[in-house]
Amino acid sequence: MKYDETELRVRFNEVDSWGMVWHGHYIAWFEAGRMALLGKFHLLPRDFAQMGYIAPVVDLKCVFQEPARLDEEILILTTVLKPTKAALTFRFQVLRRSDRKLLASGEETQVLLTLDGRMLYIIPQDLRERFQPLFDYLEEPDSAA
Amino acid sequence: MADDSVWGLKKLIIETLRLEEITPGDIEDDGPLFGDGLGLDSIDALELVVALEKTYGVVIPDSEVGERVFRSVNTLAQFVREQSASGKQQSAK
Repeated sequence: MKYDETELRVRFNEVDSWGMVWHGHYIAWFEAGRMALLGKFHLLPRDFAQMGYIAPVVDLKCVFQEPARLDEEILILTTVLKPTKAALTFRFQVLRRSDRKLLASGEETQVLLTLDGRMLYIIPQDLRERFQPLFDYLEEPDSAA
Repeated sequence: MADDSVWGLKKLIIETLRLEEITPGDIEDDGPLFGDGLGLDSIDALELVVALEKTYGVVIPDSEVGERVFRSVNTLAQFVREQSASGKQQSAK
């Protein structure tokens, strides 16, 4: 499975009084990774809204292996699983750039709603067609491999 | 042919959602499936929709239909029977 990569540097406001990144900030990093990946395929929240949909997060997991620390360069790796139901599941890894050490991993699931709040139980054809280039990209062999 | 009885649907719910502690006898025929009652959530609904389409060929497109269909196992069974009958009439034409 191919992951898209985004780089960040740990900021002062992200570090707690123990000198490590506060756990809640990893979720914002996941979001940065997701936006970077989806932006490449015009699937940002505004694109969804223009098509008449929103995609709220309904499930979220994060496992912390090692802390990120101030000023470290980190990589956010993001992928999305090909859906088997009307939901999008993203997987994330946070790596320390210097040694690609895994710092945290996570998963988020989004469901699909119409703008008037009706939850979709089947992914509509227009969304399937918009997602296809994303899934084609993620199925391409990793050029770094 | 898939078992579209209330008992068969209860087994499908249990197997699809991996409700290890639950038996078909534990699920009330008229009891709510979501919220109170069996306590299923929105992700469970999506899993069930896929299983119902695979097993019975019925389509539940969104929560508007789902709210009615998933009210209880009895309403689900009625929906499956209605859809199956409708499907047979279509194929017979």
